[in-house]
Parts: sequence; C-alpha cells; structure tokens
Amino acid sequence: MIFLRSTRNELIKIALKPRSYLGLAAITGLVGIILFALKADGLSMISFVTASFEQTLRFEGNLLNGNLVAFIVLQMLIIHIPLLVALVTGDLISGEAAMGTLRLLVSKPISRTQLLLSKFLAGGIYTLLVVLWLGFLAVIVGQWLFGVGDLMVLNSDGLVILQADDVNWRYAGGFCVAFLALLTVSSLSITLSCFSDNSIGPIVSTMAIILLFTIIVTLDVPIFDPIRPYLFTTHMAAWRSFFEDPLPWESIKKSIYILLGHNLLLIGISLFAFHRKDITV
Amino acid sequence: MPNSIISIRHLAKRFGQFEAVKDLSLDVHQGDVYGFLGPNGAGKSTTMRCMLSLIRPNHGDIHLFGKDLRSNRASILARVGCLIEKPDFYKFLSAYRNLDLFSNISGKPSSKKEIYEMLEFVGLQGREKDHVGGFSHGMRQRLGIAQTLLHNPDLIVLDEPTTGLDPQGIIDMRNLILRLKTEQHKTIVFSSHNLAEVEILCNRMVIIHQGKSIVEGSVQELLHEQDQVIRIQSDAVHLDAAYSLSQSFPKAIQFKKLGLDGFELTMAKSDIPAFNQAMVAAGIPVYSLETKRKLEDYFINLLQA
Repeated sequence: MIFLRSTRNELIKIALKPRSYLGLAAITGLVGIILFALKADGLSMISFVTASFEQTLRFEGNLLNGNLVAFIVLQMLIIHIPLLVALVTGDLISGEAAMGTLRLLVSKPISRTQLLLSKFLAGGIYTLLVVLWLGFLAVIVGQWLFGVGDLMVLNSDGLVILQADDVNWRYAGGFCVAFLALLTVSSLSITLSCFSDNSIGPIVSTMAIILLFTIIVTLDVPIFDPIRPYLFTTHMAAWRSFFEDPLPWESIKKSIYILLGHNLLLIGISLFAFHRKDITV
Repeated sequence: MPNSIISIRHLAKRFGQFEAVKDLSLDVHQGDVYGFLGPNGAGKSTTMRCMLSLIRPNHGDIHLFGKDLRSNRASILARVGCLIEKPDFYKFLSAYRNLDLFSNISGKPSSKKEIYEMLEFVGLQGREKDHVGGFSHGMRQRLGIAQTLLHNPDLIVLDEPTTGLDPQGIIDMRNLILRLKTEQHKTIVFSSHNLAEVEILCNRMVIIHQGKSIVEGSVQELLHEQDQVIRIQSDAVHLDAAYSLSQSFPKAIQFKKLGLDGFELTMAKSDIPAFNQAMVAAGIPVYSLETKRKLEDYFINLLQA
C-alpha cells in the first residue's frame, strides 16, 4: 500500500514539475517541424529515394502517406528522445538529494527498496507517456495529415513495401520495443542518479554513456565485437525490425531479452547502491 | 526505572578516515526533552541521522521504543517525526501538497482537514495553496514543524531547529517545544548550538565532542555542581577594591578583569547578594550584575579539559 502511495507521490511530482513538460513540448515542436517540412517538400524527397529504383519498378499511388511519415519521424527522433527522458528520470533521486528532500523521504517508514522501485515505476510511466505522445503525433497525426497508404521502407537488404493494412500492428510492436529501449535509458539515468547529489550529473552521464556505446556500436573495430551485441545501444533501433518482411523474430526476441536484462541489472545496481547510500546532504 | 525511548550503545560511524562518532552510548527516556550539545563537527547530526536510518552506522546498536532499528525500521519510523537541519521542501509545490506527499508515506496518511488544521497550528493559514518556493526561511521552518507533527509522532527529533530564525521565530520555536513537552508529553530530542536554549528547554542532555559522549545526564544535576559566574560592571577606579573585597568571600575564585571597568568572578550562588551588598556598602558602584549562563561555562570547561 505504501508503495502505491509512494508511486502516486512520484507521479504527482513529475506531473507538477515544469521540466517534465519540456520533453513533451520538444517532441511536439520537432514532430511539427518534420511534418511541416514533409508537407511542404516531401514529394521531392521521396522522388530522390525512388529515383534509383525507377528503372526496374513503377511506383503508383500515395507514396508520401501517413505511414511513411510516421516511419521518417521515428527514424529521425528516436535518437533524441533519450535526452528528453533522462532530463526527467535522471533527476528522480539526485534532484531530491540536491533539494534536501531525500533525507525527509528516507526518514519515513517506507523502505528504501519501495521508495526506489516507486521511482523506477514512475519513471517508466513517464517514459511510456513520452512514447505514446510520440506515437500519437507520428502515426495518428501523420495519417490524419497525409492519409493512409502502403509503407515503403528502405533497409540494408533493399526496398520493402508493406501493405497499408499490414502496418498498424507493426507500429504497435515497434513502439513496444522502442519503449523498452527508452525504459533502459530511464533505468540507466535513475541508477546514475543514485550515485550523485546534483541533478545535472546523471543526465549528462546518461547521454555520455549512450554516446560512447553508440560510437562503439558504429565503429567497425574487431576488438569491440565480443561486447557489441550486449550493449543496449545496439538494440535501441530494434523497433525497425518490425518493418522487415519476413519479421526477424529471433533478432527481436534477442533484443527484448537484452534490454530486459539491462533493466533488471540496472535496478539491481541501484538497489544495492541506494541501500548503502548515507544521506548526508 | 524510566521507560527508555532511545537506547544507543557503542555507536560508531566513519566517513573514510574520519571518525564522526566513536563508541557513543546514550539513553533518552519517555517525556524527556533531551539536548544534544557539542561544537560543529562533534557528531551530533551524524548520531541523529543514524537514529533516523539516514546513515548506516559502522558499529553499535540503536533501539527505539525498545525495538532494534535495523529489524523494525518501518514500525519505529512511523512513530517518529523529524526536522533535520534546513526545512527543505519541493519548491514547485504548495504547502498543502508538500504535507500531503510526506503524509502519504508517513505510515498514517492525514486527511485534507488534518493538514489544514496543522497548517493553522503552525501559523500558515491562508498560505496553504502558495508555492513553497516563495516562502521565507521562517515559514519553511514552520512548515517543517507541521510536517514533523502531522502524523502525531511519539518521538520528535529536531536538528538545530532554531538555526536561521529571527528572534520572534526562535521564541515561537521554544514555546512550541515547551508546549509539546507539557501539553502533549512528547519525547523530544534536539541539537542546538545555543547553550541557553538547552539550559531552558532540556531536562537531560549529552555533550558530544569529537564523536564521543563527554557527559550525559540531568541538566539540573550536572549544573548544580557548578558555582555561579557573575559579571559586574563598575568603574576603573574601584576594580582593585572590588578584588580585595571578593577575597573575604571564601568561595570566590577566578577574579578576572573585563576591560577597564568590569570584572568576572566565580562564587557560590548564596554569596552573591551579600557580595553585592558589601560592594555598595564599600562605595563601589555597581552599574550591572549579571550571572553568566552556567551551561556555557560548564561546556567550555569540559571541552578545555
């Protein structure tokens, strides 16, 4: 019961903190700009991509439709969302320490485990809201503005064309995996937050780790080969697998397991650190 | 044997190489107003934080309400209210919302009516919906007290509760502690740098220095052993005469000149009226006579020893 009350507290704090709306406002602004740009000059962009296939294929119908727009939006924004998530979740413990409220919280009869897990849960709910908002703007608003049509995706294996009625479930699955990836970012920033007494440190550290891991994933250096499959950044783009045909289930499942493993590991580290933390500030 | 509310045995806490608390033991009984005295860095706050499970001790046992703190943390802390150093709250939330949030996890959630009544009790009526970010230090301290008392705790822990308050705020805080003691019979533990405050409010105290308990016991008993120190303002011409006169009082010791026209003297309390009378009779002008706080001397002597 006290765990649920604590989770409610955390959600109230997130809801009433102006910083929480920064991420949602940023997503709205960015998606708005992309939608405007595509509406204004999207067809020339599509022509640029299809030009190389026009000798062998003939394209008909509404290529620049809501499904393609949503895919483009996700592709462009999924890299930036972690910062917006970390901005709120990286502050959940260290922000309390900086404000001085952590000592009041910890002196209450709620256990440290319950307190920390309620923060993880609230951070997860916030991350879910961010993903849902992104999904609403990209898919719903995109389809409303550009209409529905077949989705044309260019990946490493070539051009994949998915039927319009075969797309929505793929978006649902893709958003679930994207949520899991962002949840890992949320867990990472909360974990780092346990080691810090100022709110900026965990946010910057989270971004630094994502950047470092992304470089390791991108660099084609054999020495990193053994660790590359286990870095969570390798699986942050796993949502794209839902837009392949046939669906690479094994690869998707592997990504899900690795992201879940990261979350459990990070929660475990946080619990260990938070239990041993002396509240001296 | 009085009912023990806090029992600390051989408490030790180290931060790296620094030993903040060394083998400290103390007992706080039901109904005590118990003072923690000591210079900065003595280990007062660390001990209090250990009592609230904010800090994990390296060694020792802490029992509150007869139960081990480690194994009964939740049930013990549900009966404790605390205000540790600065009263920090969520500045972006209202006074009401802050109390509501802390009340939710206090073990006994309070109703809206109870929160409003508590805010009225500490003099914050009409400011319930204002953001705490706009509150003065004194108002935050009042809110801190409201937070401490809201769930009607049996034990109240206050770490330097009068720090940063204006004179009226200090008086209000002292009156509040006295009310909690006399009207509600709460057990109160508080630390302070203000020796007079401890002397006025506390019935028992511990003096901590360099992480160790130097002395612990009843304030009255500890101070009773001391002679009174008096400070007299006279004039420069008569200081030698005053010194000679003081020598006729057998318990008068440590005559010390204070500037050009005053002196300080330690003597038995019972001799003070006679000494004053003798000075006036001898034509030595007495412009003021004040007793120095006993605890101040006691504290300084102990630390010097």
